[in-house]
Amino acid sequence: MGETAVEGTPAVALEGVEVSFGAVRALTGLSLTVERGERLAVIGASGAGKSTLFNALTRAVALDRGRILVEGQDIMSLGDRALRAAQRRIGVIYQAYGLVPQLSAGINVALGEVADLSPAATLRTFARGPGPGTSSRVLSALERVGLADRVADRVADLSGGQQQRVAVARLLLQRPSLILADEPVSAVDPVTGERVLRELLNLVDEDGATLVANLHDVSLARGFPRVVALRHGALVFDGPPENLKDDVLATIYASEPLDGAPVDAAAVDPSSLRRPRAPVHERESYGLRAR
Amino acid sequence: MASAPAEPASRPVSAVLPRPRTPTGGLIVLGVIGVTGLSLYGTDFDLVELVAGAGPIERFVSQMFPPDLSVGTLEKTGQGIVETFQMSLLGALLGSLIALPLAALGTADAATIGASTPARVARAVPYHLARLALNVFRSIPDILWALVFVVALGLGPFPGTLALAVHSAGVLGKLYSETLETVPLRPVEALRAIGASRIQRLLFGRLPQAAASGLSLTMYQWECNIRSAAILGFVGAGGIGQEILIAMNLFDYSRVATLAAATIVAVLLVDRLSAAGRRRFVV
Repeated sequence: MGETAVEGTPAVALEGVEVSFGAVRALTGLSLTVERGERLAVIGASGAGKSTLFNALTRAVALDRGRILVEGQDIMSLGDRALRAAQRRIGVIYQAYGLVPQLSAGINVALGEVADLSPAATLRTFARGPGPGTSSRVLSALERVGLADRVADRVADLSGGQQQRVAVARLLLQRPSLILADEPVSAVDPVTGERVLRELLNLVDEDGATLVANLHDVSLARGFPRVVALRHGALVFDGPPENLKDDVLATIYASEPLDGAPVDAAAVDPSSLRRPRAPVHERESYGLRAR
Repeated sequence: MASAPAEPASRPVSAVLPRPRTPTGGLIVLGVIGVTGLSLYGTDFDLVELVAGAGPIERFVSQMFPPDLSVGTLEKTGQGIVETFQMSLLGALLGSLIALPLAALGTADAATIGASTPARVARAVPYHLARLALNVFRSIPDILWALVFVVALGLGPFPGTLALAVHSAGVLGKLYSETLETVPLRPVEALRAIGASRIQRLLFGRLPQAAASGLSLTMYQWECNIRSAAILGFVGAGGIGQEILIAMNLFDYSRVATLAAATIVAVLLVDRLSAAGRRRFVV
C-alpha cells in the first residue's frame, strides 16, 4: 500500500461502493471517477445518498462493499498515520456548523494547518495561539474573503454567510488538492451563496484542485462543467449540465408516497423542482442556542 | 326510515397521572408497595417513637441557646471554617486536575471507522481503564476515602483534602467525559476529515465547546465539597466537623450551636458564590 498519493491516478475513484444503515441502502453499488482538477456537482433529492457519498469520502461511514480511491490510495484501508496524511490533502466545507463556534475566526482558519502541527506545536498553538507564519497566512486568507476585521471575533458571533466565508478561508490555508463540499451554500441566502461558491471556485482554479460539491440548488449545479445525480443511492445522471432537461430532473427529484412506490415522474411539475432549499428550521444559528 | 349513524362510544383520552394498564403494571405497583412496607419494617420506622423523642430533642435544642460566643469558641469556629473552605477548594482543584486527563482518555471517539482490530483495541483499553478508575473514585464515598487516608497519613485536614480530591476526580471525570462526548460533533468531524489527530480534535474541537460547562461543573463540585468537608472531621479528617464532634462529646451544645450556624452560613455563602459564577460562565 502506497504511503503517498500515486501520480497520474484520478482524484477520486469509487468502485462498486455499497453503504447501508440497517435495512436502508444508502449507496447501492456506486462507481464514479473524478479526474484531477475536475469540478463536479452532485445533485439529488433528500435521502438520495449525497451526504453518504460525502461521508464515505471522508471515511465517516464504513463501506459494506467496494473501494474508494483518493489519488490512488484506498482510504478505507489506510493506517492512522497514512490516513491523516491523505486527509491533510482533502478539504471539507459543510452546510453549516463546520467551525468551532467558541473559537475566534482567526483560530478556526488557522486550524486549516492543524494536520501539519507536531505534538509540541499542537500544545504551543493551544496555549499561545498560532505562530507568526500561520498568523500572517490567516490574516491574508481572511482578507481575501473580506473578513480581516473579524479575525478576533468568535465564530458564534458571525452570520451564517460570514461563517461559510471563514470556512473558505480555512481551505485557503489548508490548500487541499481535493475539496469536498456538502451543500456549502444551502444555509445562506442566494446572494451570499453565490459569493461563497465563487470564492470556492477561485480557490480551485488557483491550485488546480478538484472540487466535488453536493448541491441542493440545480441552478447552481448548472454552473459546473459536470453534474452527476443520485437517486436511491445509484447514479442516474452523469454529464454536462446542458443535458439536464426537465424530464431528467423530474426523474431525479420524483417524490414518492410514504409506502415507497415511485410516483409517475411525468406527473411531476419540473418547474417546482428548480430551487429546493433547506427548510427554515434547519437553519438555526449558534448565537441563538441557549443552554 | 334511515337511522342516524351510531355515535361512536365516547372514551376518555387518558388520565394525566400514569396508572397501570396491564397486569404487569399492576404487579410492579404491588411490588413497590411491598418493598416500601419491608423497608419501613426493616428500619424500625415508628412515628410514635419520634413524637415520644420530642422531649429530649427539645432539651437538646434549648441547651443550644444562647450560643457560645466566647472569644475561644469564635476563634475555633473561624479556624474550622477557613480550614473547611480551604479543604473544599483544594479538593475541587486537585480533583479537576486528576479528572481532566482521565476524562480525555474516557471520551468515546467515533473515528474508528475502517480502523484495524489492533488499532481498535489500542483505543479501547485506555478508554475502559480510565472509565474504571473514575468509577472506583466516584463510587467510594468521600468519607470512606477519608477513613482510608486517615489510617495511612494520620489525623488532620491533609487526608481530608486528599479524600475530597479523589472523590471529586471521580465525579468530575465522569461529568467532563460526558460533556466532551456530547458537544456538537460537526466541528470535531470537520477537523477529523482534514487530518487532525485525536489529541488535536480534543484540544481544538471538543474542549472549546465543553469548557464553559466544565467550569460550571467544577464550581458545583466545589459547592458539594464544602458540605462534605464539614462532616469529614467526624472521622478525624480535619475541618469544622472535628470541632463539632468534640463539642458534642463534651455535651457543650451552646458551642455546637455556634459551630453549626457558622457551617450553615459558610455553605450558603459558597452556594451563592458558585451559583453566581456558574451563571457568568455558562454561555
